[in-house]
Amino acid sequence: MKKRPSSPRPASPPAPAKVDPRERLRRVLFLVPYAVSHPGIPVQDLAAKCGVSEAELLEDLDFLLGVGCPPFAPDDFLDLYVEGNRVYVALHQRFSRPPRFTESEAAALAAAAQGLGGEGVERVVKTLRDSVPRDRRKSFDELVGRIYAGSPPVRDSVLGRLERAIALRREVRLRYYTASRAVEGDRTVRPYTLAQRFGHWYLYGYDLSRARPLPFRLDRVRECTLTDVHFEPPSDAQLSGARLFSEREPIRLTLGPRAAAWALSRPGVALLERKDGGGCLVEVAGADEDWATRFALSFGGEAEVVAPPSARRHFAEAVKRSLARYG
Amino acid sequence: MQKAERLLDLAALLLRAAEPVSWREIQEQFPGDYGGSEEAAVRKFERDKAELLELGIPVRFVSKEDDVSAGYLIDRDEFYLPNLELAPEELALIYLAGSVALSQGAFPYARDLAHAMNKLSFAARAAGASETAALAARHLSRGEGAGSKEGEGARKLEELSAGVTAKKRVHLVYEGAERGERTERDVDPYGLYQSGGSWFLVGHCHLRGALRTFHLGRIAEVKVNPAAPRTPDFAVPKGFALHDWATREPWEYTLHPPLRCTVRLEGAVPPEVRASFGARAKVREEAGSLWVEIAATNAEALLRHVLSLGERAQIVEPRELRDKARAVLAGLLRRCG
Repeated sequence: MKKRPSSPRPASPPAPAKVDPRERLRRVLFLVPYAVSHPGIPVQDLAAKCGVSEAELLEDLDFLLGVGCPPFAPDDFLDLYVEGNRVYVALHQRFSRPPRFTESEAAALAAAAQGLGGEGVERVVKTLRDSVPRDRRKSFDELVGRIYAGSPPVRDSVLGRLERAIALRREVRLRYYTASRAVEGDRTVRPYTLAQRFGHWYLYGYDLSRARPLPFRLDRVRECTLTDVHFEPPSDAQLSGARLFSEREPIRLTLGPRAAAWALSRPGVALLERKDGGGCLVEVAGADEDWATRFALSFGGEAEVVAPPSARRHFAEAVKRSLARYG
Repeated sequence: MQKAERLLDLAALLLRAAEPVSWREIQEQFPGDYGGSEEAAVRKFERDKAELLELGIPVRFVSKEDDVSAGYLIDRDEFYLPNLELAPEELALIYLAGSVALSQGAFPYARDLAHAMNKLSFAARAAGASETAALAARHLSRGEGAGSKEGEGARKLEELSAGVTAKKRVHLVYEGAERGERTERDVDPYGLYQSGGSWFLVGHCHLRGALRTFHLGRIAEVKVNPAAPRTPDFAVPKGFALHDWATREPWEYTLHPPLRCTVRLEGAVPPEVRASFGARAKVREEAGSLWVEIAATNAEALLRHVLSLGERAQIVEPRELRDKARAVLAGLLRRCG
């Protein structure tokens, strides 16, 4: 008969009202092997890795104390313990590596990869498929066809090279279109990472000629060549302080009723005030004047940039120049 | 015994066993769980097996062969996540795409994606630079997904994802943008796509009796049909291709018969502006300009797109649409003083 061994830990805080048993199972199937491969990992770090609070992690550890393998002799149980606020595994009962990807885990990764693109994307999707249990691969195929995370931002060859440069920490030479000056030019960049904002993909990297990290819109990169120059990785502090755009005063727009319904459903648009008749005043943080003008004009006359004054002027001048085309 | 505990115990037993474990032995080891009538016990065990498989743990039945008796086992090769044999740039692709998707605030199967990203650290050899880049991507993309609006969107997308996977009908409360009315309807969710930074559901709408798309931001409420969770409510039609819906431009939504429109692009035209008219636009170069020909079935949407491109773009034909563009701009200029 199964008997739970007595817990060596003090009683944990009362359990939250609802623990999703399926989520807990998925979590512990990762938690145990992760603790096996990181002996003495601080409770706090393991909790963060698992996306739960420390109290929830301790509850998971308590739960695991009762898990074992028939005939449930003392050494047949899982044995994870906390000492000095660090987690150790004495007995892992062969849970030393996580199980294969579920079809939705692999399909979510595959959809994200397809939305970014790159030369290896087909191989990536095939490898992910092979990492799903045999019996679930058909479901994986079906699910991959049910999520479309956007059209890849640039030609596969350009992106493939960029991904290679990021992975190998090699400097790249870019043929890049600068919209503000309407010219194409060459840049040498240490590619740190990729990011997404307002529906666009950006390369974020250190521009050697400008001597600072800058964002480059991926759909404006015409060519990308790897150089032989390796670069040192940026420090954690540099990366945690990294921003895609410099902090600017937020831009405000007024919207008519129809425009309001569309605009408010977009990420990054914050409602400031509802107006009579269904219109509203909104604010967009981190956007530049040009973006705000294009955003307002995309509502076909139902939106205006109103503040700050420089953004309002930018909008009015753009409207004037566009109208001149219809003279 | 609690189900979660039983499932793990069962997995531990079958992982450790050197030979297949017979059904009798399993019953003996779990007397409180697989006791009672044989039929009920077998059904419960089959459900547990299905749940283990959903967690990525395949339990296999092995028939009697020579001196090995019949029973259940977990093949270790089939259980453990294998190493992903990928080139560095392919690993970078997974890390970056996954991290950016997670930091967007809303992505289908976001919870599964988070689990998958965690598991990657076991499956990817020498991923050092990619891991650093992924972390940086998350720092950079953060800040947009933090608001309650985005949190709410993420929750709804998770619900819709569950409906798509299990092929369960969803009940939507939807705020239509054009007519501004709130409607309730049942939808068979066929797929989810992202366009311009927003997520959309495509499915068969039972209110309209046709395929429709729904903007995530305007779905006020969503509920997956809770009845018979493992029995699909519908089958996705064979000819359905999500890609065709996802790559449809707003002016290709059918609101009126096709209208031949011409747009002129002047000056320096950035690559993304040229690409913004989609795959079906015909583009020719003439007299130092680019001329874009489009058969629009929603001319109003084309007008908005052209206006958003600023002075570099103008509608040339049809005349009524050109006049409308002029009127919109003149009205805006008056209001700007």
